Amino acid sequence: MTPDQAQGRSAVRGAARPVAPPGLADRAGRLSADWSPTVGRLLLGLVLAWFGYHELVQPSLWTGYVPLVSASSLAVLLVLAHGWLLLVLAVAMVAGIAVRLAAAVAVALVLEIVVSLTLTTGLSDLVLRDVGVLGLAVCLTATTTQRLVLRR
Amino acid sequence: MRTSGGSVGPRGVTLLLVTAVVGAVLAAYGWSGRGAGPAPGALGGPSSTSAGPRSSPSASPDGAGSAGRTAAKAGPLLGSQSFAAYSFLVWPGTPSSAARTAMTGLSVSVRRTGSGISVSAGVRGQPQGGAHSYPGGARVYVVEASMGDEAGTSDYNLGDDAVVVTDAHGRIVQ
Repeated sequence: MTPDQAQGRSAVRGAARPVAPPGLADRAGRLSADWSPTVGRLLLGLVLAWFGYHELVQPSLWTGYVPLVSASSLAVLLVLAHGWLLLVLAVAMVAGIAVRLAAAVAVALVLEIVVSLTLTTGLSDLVLRDVGVLGLAVCLTATTTQRLVLRR
Repeated sequence: MRTSGGSVGPRGVTLLLVTAVVGAVLAAYGWSGRGAGPAPGALGGPSSTSAGPRSSPSASPDGAGSAGRTAAKAGPLLGSQSFAAYSFLVWPGTPSSAARTAMTGLSVSVRRTGSGISVSAGVRGQPQGGAHSYPGGARVYVVEASMGDEAGTSDYNLGDDAVVVTDAHGRIVQ
């Protein structure tokens, strides 16, 4: 058998072989790749909205987190500004408006929280939970494909 | 409009502006209510300068650090208050595990005094303030609105912590 004949037979065999449908794992992976950034964006937006809303309506409960400033009117003002920014970022996240920019600002905010909590109280389960949120925000700064976004 | 972080259309800009205005309104609301603590006897919050303890809403402050005397006055039922669900009995008896979690970062000591009790509460690791007397006081509760701010032996947010004393009928002693 010449090499050409062998190649032709092989080609025929290849053409006859039915194409296997994508497996469940493949489909799940594709679905995950399509929707994970969107789900992550919505969930981070939910977290930001929750904290933003509560900081805005009950700022005195959050003044204990303000670093270097004891509980005072200044601390309340800082909490209100923080809550306002969180709320705007949350809406940007949920609506899909400038997601990477919003995620970058969220990274800065959460990083400040992680650093200040670590410096003042050391590593704890709360800090590590915030590190996880920080990781999500970092991921979203690099995500270029999003679904369910307000484009216009 | 395109930014390096994604696109922003006119509707997006409008939505963000509306959100900014709503946020400002909420901030004004929060600012106007900044003096209202989460519960009587809050351990943190704007009215306390160093997250120091206050044991009761209208307990008269003790002048020289000795036990303060307050006139016994039964207030509303603790069970009728919005923070009742977040109140944990710490005295008398052995505090439950939830109460112990709520007491994280706090130090509460109670002493019987004649017809009432004397309570001193403070932040662990800080000098404890003077005790307050509660004639008719029978139970001591710690109010903790959010357990999520406790980690280990630290309470990151004392603004939602408080100590409440009630009489035997569950009425808040003021």
